[in-house]
Amino acid sequence: MATAISIQGLTKKYVDVWQKQEVIAVNNLNLEVQEGEIFGFLGRNGAGKTTTIKMLLGLVFPTAGDAALLGAPMGDNNAKNFLAYLPEETYFYDSMSAWDLMDYYGRLFKLPKNVREQRISICLEKVRLQKDAWHRNIRGYSKGMRQRTGIAQALINDPKLLFLDEPTSGLDPIAHAELRDIVASLKDEGKTVFLSSHQLADVELICTRVAIIHRGKLLRVGTIQELVAGQRTEITVQGKELMNGTLAKLKNISPDIEEQGMSTLVIQSDDTAQVSAIIDVVRGADCSVLSIVPHKRTLEEVFVETVRREEESL
Amino acid sequence: MSVIYAVAHQTVREALRRRIMWIFLIIGVFLIALGPVFGFLSPRDSLVILKSLGLAAILLAGLFTTIVTCIYLIPVEIDRRTIYTVLSKPVQRYQFVLGKFIGGFFTVFINIAAMGIVFLVMLYFQMGHHLAPDMVEGVVLTFFQLMLLAALSIFFSTFATPVVNFFLSFGIFMVGNLTSVTDTLTTSKSPIAALAGRIIYYLLPQFGNFNIMNSLIHPGQNITNMQVYIRNCIVYAIIYSSVLLAIAILIFDSREV
Repeated sequence: MATAISIQGLTKKYVDVWQKQEVIAVNNLNLEVQEGEIFGFLGRNGAGKTTTIKMLLGLVFPTAGDAALLGAPMGDNNAKNFLAYLPEETYFYDSMSAWDLMDYYGRLFKLPKNVREQRISICLEKVRLQKDAWHRNIRGYSKGMRQRTGIAQALINDPKLLFLDEPTSGLDPIAHAELRDIVASLKDEGKTVFLSSHQLADVELICTRVAIIHRGKLLRVGTIQELVAGQRTEITVQGKELMNGTLAKLKNISPDIEEQGMSTLVIQSDDTAQVSAIIDVVRGADCSVLSIVPHKRTLEEVFVETVRREEESL
Repeated sequence: MSVIYAVAHQTVREALRRRIMWIFLIIGVFLIALGPVFGFLSPRDSLVILKSLGLAAILLAGLFTTIVTCIYLIPVEIDRRTIYTVLSKPVQRYQFVLGKFIGGFFTVFINIAAMGIVFLVMLYFQMGHHLAPDMVEGVVLTFFQLMLLAALSIFFSTFATPVVNFFLSFGIFMVGNLTSVTDTLTTSKSPIAALAGRIIYYLLPQFGNFNIMNSLIHPGQNITNMQVYIRNCIVYAIIYSSVLLAIAILIFDSREV
């Protein structure tokens, strides 16, 4: 499989006018995205996601590093024929209709009139924008209709690589699910999607691989399965003897213990051998095991853990 | 070229949808239409009144249309972030700037043409069904004067906010129209004043050269060959605008959006 995005040491620093304060928006980012992937790019607000996308598209210029999109250097004008971008907050020319807007963008790709008209219909139908709204001013569109138009404009050139920045934010549940499914369907058409999103449930559902970025630094990258690997088990035990030396023994096995009252402990562990050892200690101390709950980790938990760990280490 | 045309076409559409553009046009036409009324009330020749008022109205309405249209063309795309979806497509930055300029310039052309036609038609009837070629020349020079102003506003809009751009464009237009003051400074005995005069003369666009009808401002000047003079003014406007646009492209090329 060919590489769709290859990023090497991409760095963006913002320095104030007096050259005194420096903010590192993106710090030595190295990343590869393969063709046909839906790649999730996760991070808190201000983590450097949008700056990275803008650098890749030539809208802002990197301080250091390099990147290639579909084999061409970033910002290459010819490569843009195969790219698409949906910005985070989709603003359009409000006095235009979706059809006129798409026609304008089609002209920027130098599409002939008949091809343009065909593509406009295909794209607007694909995003399920009601037909009666096609020729109405965007000013009167709802948020969902605007987002649909945003995705449609990104598809006008039948791109190979799409950069979607928060395509489903602020939508009602139905529109949210519909647009998520549309994004997911792009994979079936062989397109590569670079998806920046805070909707971690969506990312977990549709992305093949994910990268977590924090303060411009890449923290983790891998498939969803790799990131959420390792089942966590929660064991709740009860007994009067727990506080008389048993607690110390349990802490030696797993330090992740929460005391609930005088005689109840909730112990967390992601190691099956530890779980067995904990149960043995509890039984040996004449205490009882109230529950053993296996707990599958979600991407959200992985994200929160990863980011918190990084923040604590700073 | 088709990309520049697409950007220019879009720019004209957006500009024509702005009410302020039509308000200036209506005011300009209204002032031209008032020419015969002022001519009737004035002790001077009614034709002179119509001519001077007509050209002044076209210049004034055109001036505000040009500045108000052109100072916003690029900043509004950045503020509304519509520029992201444009520049992420195969659009070179020079194509974007040129498209914006041509669109703004064409909007001004529509404005001047509409007022110019009203003005010339009124003169035609006022002069007993005779055309006034000198007035056509006056309208053409006003048009190129405003083309130069449009280039200046686009140039400033690549790095300045609309408010700053308004004062810069308007200020330079005023200074550039003070040809007699520049002449006085240039021939001054004070070396500093003379230097300032020369800097203004060579660096700032000489908008005053386009106002050939105002004999009060150019009392001592006599244009011997009007055709050559007009040609030189047009060439000056084109070259100066091209230089401004080239610098604007260079600045915008390195600007982050």
